[in-house]
Amino acid sequence: MSKTEKRIEEHDIVRRLEDEGHGAYVESYDPEDERMIINMGPVHPATHGVLRLLLELDGETVIECKPIIGYLHTGMEKECEDQNWRSAVTIVTRMDYLSPFFNEHAYSMAVEKLLDIEVPPRGRYIRMLMSELCRITSHLVQFGTQGLDMGAMSVMFYGFRERELIVDFFEMVTGLRMNHGFIVPGGVWEDLPDGWEEAIDGILEVMPGRLREYQDLLSENPIFIERTRGVGLITAEQCDDLGVTGPIARASGIDWDLRRDEPYEAYEDLAFEVPLQHQGDVYARYQVRMAEMGQSLDLVAQIADKMPEGDYKNMDPKLTPPPRSEMNRSMEAVIHHFKLVTQGYPVPPGEAYSPVESPRGELGAYVVSDGGAAPYRCHVRDPSFYNLQSLPVMTRGGLVADLIASIASIDPIMGGVDR
Amino acid sequence: MSIEVVDARQWVERAESMRAEGWMMLDLAGLDRLGLDGAAERDHRFEIVCQLVRRDVKQRTSLHVTAEGDPPTIPSVTHVWGLAAFAEREAFDMYGIHFEGHEGLSRILMPDEWSGHPLRKDYGVGKITIDFKPQPFLQTDTPGQSTHGLASDVELDALGQIKPADDEARHE
Repeated sequence: MSKTEKRIEEHDIVRRLEDEGHGAYVESYDPEDERMIINMGPVHPATHGVLRLLLELDGETVIECKPIIGYLHTGMEKECEDQNWRSAVTIVTRMDYLSPFFNEHAYSMAVEKLLDIEVPPRGRYIRMLMSELCRITSHLVQFGTQGLDMGAMSVMFYGFRERELIVDFFEMVTGLRMNHGFIVPGGVWEDLPDGWEEAIDGILEVMPGRLREYQDLLSENPIFIERTRGVGLITAEQCDDLGVTGPIARASGIDWDLRRDEPYEAYEDLAFEVPLQHQGDVYARYQVRMAEMGQSLDLVAQIADKMPEGDYKNMDPKLTPPPRSEMNRSMEAVIHHFKLVTQGYPVPPGEAYSPVESPRGELGAYVVSDGGAAPYRCHVRDPSFYNLQSLPVMTRGGLVADLIASIASIDPIMGGVDR
Repeated sequence: MSIEVVDARQWVERAESMRAEGWMMLDLAGLDRLGLDGAAERDHRFEIVCQLVRRDVKQRTSLHVTAEGDPPTIPSVTHVWGLAAFAEREAFDMYGIHFEGHEGLSRILMPDEWSGHPLRKDYGVGKITIDFKPQPFLQTDTPGQSTHGLASDVELDALGQIKPADDEARHE
């Protein structure tokens, strides 16, 4: 039988199955060994974005799972090449939209490496403060959606309620709730506004109790444990092979956190622990994330406590537009401002890669400069992109219901996967 | 962090020995050297840039592997690091670099029927016009997505088009 004939016959079987009311998602069906290829997504409530999966099923058992991506691809890396070094931040920040500060941070650090400049201590601390808060918001969304997928709907509301608390703080500082464009090469764009300490105190007062509440909701919940223990297993060796990083790797016993092992900014001045689990299942990943939220809260308290005074960005006039007060007095300041806004600044030729520890693992920016005012190449190593490759490993041989648990525990952000 | 250029012919051997030493690949991205200084003197235009880490000694390195021939070709290292499966597909999609020995080297981010490789430097933003063909509302040729229940005379390619002229005419 030729390929086309086979396809037509398959098509007929599918049509018949649909007419019999077997659902419209069946891609092909082999009546002999009862194997079915089913399409899931790209628009599906459990895939957390436009992720499409082709599943080969034997009854309820997943034999093979193939992720198909690209539905959110908007060519952001190409767009960066059309921007100047400063404004590329506004594109990079939109990649992993649940952790925008980390995208900006990695990119800015790579550009700073090329420029060979220092960030003032206050700038470093503001960066860390925003990053740690952002880690909590990101984990809260993961926590909420994981709960929702496991049938615990109230968890979703709680997760998003607390996220709102922190997102309000982001709005207060940066003016935006998402896609801030706040961390720029040289430091941060604005200083913290008046009253930030009270806002942080408010978060620190509320959050620890709420985290305990979450633990009560899910950690001991027999249904949740039943659905997550021993599900979606991945070993440390498989993580290494697939380049899986972050909470997934740490839940499989890989003791690696860039904040501790390759400290950047001022993380070496802060005391924190790296949560570690060894089971490598969905529940272990959940535990790692919950513990990380607690650690991040501790870090926020330490950072707020130690926040140094002084400049919040590198004040080199070739790099940073002068403050408004100076532009009212000095002609030279106006010229600098005009040049920076219209042309941007050149960056010495070369290449740099710098990683940060994002809520999903190592997020690195690889930038190449040809000496001009625009990035020659701006590539972001997005952890979701590589972590998604672990999905077939986790789901092979499991049930379809467990597949949902695995997707939620990988926590892929399609904006970052497709870029 | 050191940078090193590796020839495509030695790449697999090098990758295998690095893997045995405990290097973990973290990233693999394409690069088009067309507009960079010294591109004319080099006999290759495309390369891939690999970021690797060794956790036990906390060391990082960056490797450039040159792609030779037409189409530019590099042997695949998917058997060495599983991570390369997605990454090589992305480099193929974006730069048209072929990876010998990669099972299922196909477009990953762009649609399958796309022509050209968008991140190449001569594929400029705004320089190439993109024809947006009217897409059928449902892809009837895909099994499982039939026009079942739809009237056959629905003008599929007219869906979603805004016609301001019609609107104005009505107001007058």
